[in-house]
Amino acid sequence: MDDLAARQPEQVDDLAARQAERVDDLAARQAELVAALVAGGPVPPGFAPAPLAAARTALLRKRAGEVARHWPLLAASFGSDWTATFAGWAAGRPTQGSLRDGWDLARALRERGTLPPLGAEELALREAAARYDGRRAPRPRRLPSLGRAGGAVAVQVAGRVRLLRPASRAA
Amino acid sequence: MTGPTGVGIGWRPEIAGFVAELPGLRFVEVVAESVAASGPLPPGLADLRGRGVTVVPHGVRLSLGGAEPVDPARVAHLAAVAELVAAPLVSEHIAFVRAGGLEAGHLLPLPRSRAAVDAVCANVARAQAEIPVPIALEPIAALFDWPDDELDEAAFLTEILDRTGALLLLDIANVYANARNRGADPLDLLDRLPLERVGYVHVAGGAEHGGFYHDTHTDPVPPAVLELVGELCARRRPPALLLERDGAYPPASVLRAELDALAAASGFPVVT
Repeated sequence: MDDLAARQPEQVDDLAARQAERVDDLAARQAELVAALVAGGPVPPGFAPAPLAAARTALLRKRAGEVARHWPLLAASFGSDWTATFAGWAAGRPTQGSLRDGWDLARALRERGTLPPLGAEELALREAAARYDGRRAPRPRRLPSLGRAGGAVAVQVAGRVRLLRPASRAA
Repeated sequence: MTGPTGVGIGWRPEIAGFVAELPGLRFVEVVAESVAASGPLPPGLADLRGRGVTVVPHGVRLSLGGAEPVDPARVAHLAAVAELVAAPLVSEHIAFVRAGGLEAGHLLPLPRSRAAVDAVCANVARAQAEIPVPIALEPIAALFDWPDDELDEAAFLTEILDRTGALLLLDIANVYANARNRGADPLDLLDRLPLERVGYVHVAGGAEHGGFYHDTHTDPVPPAVLELVGELCARRRPPALLLERDGAYPPASVLRAELDALAAASGFPVVT
C-alpha cells in the first residue's frame, strides 16, 4: 500500500487496471485447464500433454473411489472393473458430486440393460427414498413410494426404505 | 488449546475406532468440509476433544488459489468449525479446485507467477479476516506444471508466506512426489524453505502409475518418504507430524507400524 500511496492517481488507476487484467487472464486460464481435465476440453497452449493426461486419469480414479463410498453396492457389483467402468463413463463429464455421479451412472447402465443385480438393488432403494430429476440435488420423498431397477423393487414408507423384491439374476 | 505436537493422524470416520484407542495421541486433523458447522461433532471426534486432543480443521475446498475471491460461505464454515473444535489453527492448500463453474474434484496447481501470488495472497487475507486462529498453508503435489512459471517453487512459496504471515503446512510426501516427478532433488527444496514457519507436517503414502508417482493416501508410506522426514528433522524438527490415510484402510497393525515409523524418524514419542 505504501508504494501505491506515493504514486500519482492516474498511475494507481493504471496499475489497478493492469492487475485486474492479469486476474481476468488467470481466471480464464484456470477455467481452460479445469475444462481440459474434467470436461473433455482441449489441452491449453503450452502444457505438456502427457502429465496432463496423467492428471486427468488420476482425477477419474479419485472420483471412482469417492463414488464407491456413496454407492458401495454399485461399485461392488463391478468388482475390480469398477474404476475402469466408472472412468469410462465419467471421462469428459464434470462431477455433479459423488451421490449424483453414481446415480447418473446407475441410470445410464439401467438404460443400457447392463446394470448388475447388486447395483440395481441399490438404485431401486435410492429411487424409492428420494426424488432425483437428474439436474438438482435429490430430495427425500414425503409420500410412500416404490423404486424399481433391473427387476428389483424397493418401497419407502415414512422415510424407511426396504427391498421388496431382489433384482433378477441370470440363472 | 495448544498447537499440534508430536505424532498425529488424520481423523476419518472409517478409522475412528482405531484412532480412539491410540493411548499417546495428542493431535488429529479433521477434513473441515466433513464437519457440520452447527455441530454436533461426530462422536469419536467429540470424545477426542474431551480428552484434550488437539483437533486441526483441514480445508480442502476453499480454492484459495482461484482467481475469483474465495466464497465467503466456505470461509465462514471453516471459521465455525475452528470454533467448534477450539482449534489452535486451521489449514488449507495453495491450490485451486474449481474454475469457470466446473469442479475439478481435486487440488490443482497454480502457475508460479506474480499474478497467482497476488490471487492467493488476496484470498488468504480474506480468509484470515474471518477465521479466529492462524492459518497454515500447504503446498500440493502436482503432476504437471504450468508453462509460464516465473518463480521456482521455493521462491513462490516463500513469497506467499511472507506476504500473508501464514504458517507452512509442509507435506513431505508432496515434496517427495514433486521432486521425483520433475527429476529434482527434494533436499534442494527443504534447504530453501523457511522451516521455522512450519506449523506441522503431513506424511502420506503413494504409488507409481503410468510413469508418475501419485500421492494417493491409499498406499503405504514409502521408505524414501520416511528418509525425507529424517532429513527434515535433521535440519529443523517441526512441532508435529501427521499421517494422512484416505482409503483402502489397512489392518490396525499396519497403521500402528506407520505411526511408529514416523515417531522413530522424527524422535517424537510413540503414540501407539
